[in-house]
Amino acid sequence: MNRFFTPFFKTLVDHEVTVELKNDISIRGTLKSVDQYLNIKLDDISVVEEIRYPHLSSVKNVFIRGSVVRYVHLPGAAVDTALLEDATRREAAQASAKAKQG
Amino acid sequence: MSFFGFDATLPRDRGHQAYKPGFGATPDAFAGLSGRDDDADALDFEDTYDGLGDRLDETDDAFNDDTFGGEPATQQNVAKDFDFSGQTAKIANTLQEEQMLYTARQPPPKASPPKRAAKPARTGYENYAQPDYIPKLEANAGLWGIPPKKASPQPQAHQRQESQGAPIAAESSRKMMSLEEVEAAMRAQSRKPAAPQPQVPQAPQLFAPVPPAQPSPAEFSHQAGFGVPPQILQRPQAAYDQRPLSAPRPPAQAELPPQGVQHPQILQRQRPVQPEPVAHRQAPQQPAAQPQRPPSQPRQILQNPNRLSGQGQPIAQPGPRHGMQQMGPGHQRGPSYPANVVTYPQQILDMSSEERAAHLEAEAKRAKRNYKIHLLSKDNGLMTPQDKNFITRIQLQQLVTATGGVDDQGPEAALAEDFYYQVYSQIRGAPRQNPNQPASQFAQTYLFQTGGRYGNNRRRPRGGDNHIQRMEQQVQRAVEAAKAKPKNKQLVIEGSLGKISFSNAKTPKPLLNIKRTESGTPRPESAARRPSHMHRDPTTADRKVVLKDIENVYSTLMQMEDHERHMPPPLAEDSEPAVVEAHMLWRQTIQSLNEKLWRELKVMEPIIPNSPTPHPFIAILSHPKGKKAVPRIFRHITDQQRITILTMIVVHLDALDVIRNAVPTHLNGIDQPIPASVREDVELFAQTVLPPFFAYLAEAPLNIATGLLGLVLDRTNLTAVARTKIGLLVLTMFVSRAELLRPVPPAPPSAQDDWVQWTELYTRLFDAVEPVLPFVFPGSVNDAEDVYVWQFLAAMGVGASPEQQQRLVLGVKERVMETVAACRALPEEMRARRLGDVNLFMRAIGLDVELLG
Repeated sequence: MNRFFTPFFKTLVDHEVTVELKNDISIRGTLKSVDQYLNIKLDDISVVEEIRYPHLSSVKNVFIRGSVVRYVHLPGAAVDTALLEDATRREAAQASAKAKQG
Repeated sequence: MSFFGFDATLPRDRGHQAYKPGFGATPDAFAGLSGRDDDADALDFEDTYDGLGDRLDETDDAFNDDTFGGEPATQQNVAKDFDFSGQTAKIANTLQEEQMLYTARQPPPKASPPKRAAKPARTGYENYAQPDYIPKLEANAGLWGIPPKKASPQPQAHQRQESQGAPIAAESSRKMMSLEEVEAAMRAQSRKPAAPQPQVPQAPQLFAPVPPAQPSPAEFSHQAGFGVPPQILQRPQAAYDQRPLSAPRPPAQAELPPQGVQHPQILQRQRPVQPEPVAHRQAPQQPAAQPQRPPSQPRQILQNPNRLSGQGQPIAQPGPRHGMQQMGPGHQRGPSYPANVVTYPQQILDMSSEERAAHLEAEAKRAKRNYKIHLLSKDNGLMTPQDKNFITRIQLQQLVTATGGVDDQGPEAALAEDFYYQVYSQIRGAPRQNPNQPASQFAQTYLFQTGGRYGNNRRRPRGGDNHIQRMEQQVQRAVEAAKAKPKNKQLVIEGSLGKISFSNAKTPKPLLNIKRTESGTPRPESAARRPSHMHRDPTTADRKVVLKDIENVYSTLMQMEDHERHMPPPLAEDSEPAVVEAHMLWRQTIQSLNEKLWRELKVMEPIIPNSPTPHPFIAILSHPKGKKAVPRIFRHITDQQRITILTMIVVHLDALDVIRNAVPTHLNGIDQPIPASVREDVELFAQTVLPPFFAYLAEAPLNIATGLLGLVLDRTNLTAVARTKIGLLVLTMFVSRAELLRPVPPAPPSAQDDWVQWTELYTRLFDAVEPVLPFVFPGSVNDAEDVYVWQFLAAMGVGASPEQQQRLVLGVKERVMETVAACRALPEEMRARRLGDVNLFMRAIGLDVELLG
């Protein structure tokens, strides 16, 4: 799946996303890069509930380990749904082809 | 900073500069010394040394500041730097550079006098030009009191140096006659500038009194100016250190050549000690007596004797030859630096001053470079070629693994890998410039660069080629290895209980390894089940089936789109058979794919009248993604298939979800608003399905429009259809198309017939629509989204007869008035727009909203 998500996130680079972490902190920022572990780098971040997490108010950019991400809220306009559907279809087709092989 | 006071200033700052052509005197550092020889016993180091020291003190005060940094040479100051050899070593480079410079600057006049040729041609140092020259120690014979054959001055020169430090040597040298000759020569040399004369007879001058410690003013000034004495002083220093070792050795060496091998090393430092003009001067044919090979001296700026060989200056020139050339001019430094003085000066002196400058500059550059090379080459050969190969391979493998080797499989694989990103980039113009070429051609790049680097290696082009080949092979192997790797993702080590899974960026270690037992079974089962299900349980199972159908359509669509990209180059008349064949194959494939798609669309499934479940194709259209597929489908199907689909849709027009669900319902006399989801569906349908529809119909002949309208009239519930947006849009489409195709009077009879047929249908349509005219408008008057209604009315009005137009106006009059009235309350912009909408209709029947105002 990483194969699929990494390129997807690559198209979202420089868009604003909101990353919700497993510890309930939501961080909004400009997506800078995503790697195959879905580690995320954000710039110009702001914490959604700033009052609850004042210690993050001075942080300007973050590197988020992929494993602590619960959700990534995407900018809808930047996602080509039809294309994404096709991509998932391809992915599924490849996966099933592989499953058949193996 | 030298304690010894040698001249540390640059040559250009020195008195040298003042050396003018007329200034013919050859500076002779040993002129003073030579005089000393008069009193036979006096020649020991102390004397010699003192003499020089005195001269220095008296004359070189002016340079003391340079030397000692301007401070009074207090005991403390001096004590700090008191490190003879260290100081010397520090400035060794400078020294040598200076020497070279000096040598080069030797004024031509001195070098060129023809008479020089008459003088003894050989220096006796020629042999020193050969790096591996180990002198035969004839001099030692002298030490032991044996008269040297041919009265070679050479040994004496040698001993003389030694004598500076060792009384023994001094004593022995005293007994040798040739010493006088040496001194005589020195004196002759010192006078030579003034009265150049053949040097051969040295004896007469032997006893000529020369003030030992007080050279003639002229000489004095030379030496002071030249900074020569400092050099002399400084060199003995080195010799001094070596003395204990070198002094005893010579005798032994005569008998024990093997030991002599060490001699050079020891004497190497001593080389500087040999600047006695004497040796140089007389140097009969006694090369054997020379203690050490000084030649590399001048070059030793770099301390890299090997350099010499590359320099093109023949160090190794046989002695006799340059002995001839190299006489007086170089004599001062010559003796110690035969390579330089002997060969160089002559050549350099022949140059013009510019050439010389250039030469020196080049020399300095070369020296610097060689020094660098020397530093760099310190660790040369530390790794064997095997080591290097090993490292290279590891690096390559890492590279290939990191990039996964997908790239070798071309853009297709990249697309498969990265479909969303690649296509998205193509569509939206993402940063990547060539989306088909993923950025990770590392291996290739690496190979290329490396190849270039080795290819440029001029020194060993063959080795370079070999290396490139090897690199290529390695890259290949590495790539293959990386490709092969994912295949065996697990390694079971014998005797261990577990498996080791390999993982890399490409294929992360699978945490769950669930294998589908048999992927083939579920499908036939569901296929077998489907027909029965379809009729028995029309809700969930049906929905699943429809979704599955849609997915099938999509996957076929994608195959077709992929296939389209692989279209072989267009055929030409002279195309090669292979190309033609490829084309044929491609066409076959696209044909079969098309058939597959057609099957999966289920358009041709039998229409079951009054069936509780909609026709499969209509069911497909009822899903948003089914709707979205239509434009793509239309691109890949034939016209015949298009009209079939159109027909199918038209036949089921009132069964379409976007019509069935969008018919306004009345509840308690109030129009219920259409649910948002349905509205979305309607919009989607209008955006996806209708455009290809319209596009097709816009080029269709009249009979198509007629036929389709007939189907609508015959097969559908027109009241329902007319009350929905999609229905009205479709009807508008037919009517307006027909209106465009209305034959102008001189038309062929067939066209007239078609038109008549159409008119009949139109009348039927009009009759059917007229009752629902008040209800075709969505919502209330304030609902602005009624353009399509006005468009429909306009289309109807254009084709209507005057009588029909009357009925039309009557039917919608109320709405028109209401709308116009409502517009008055609207802001300017909206009012204009809505009135414009109404006017679409009004103008179609020859009216205008202005008339109503």
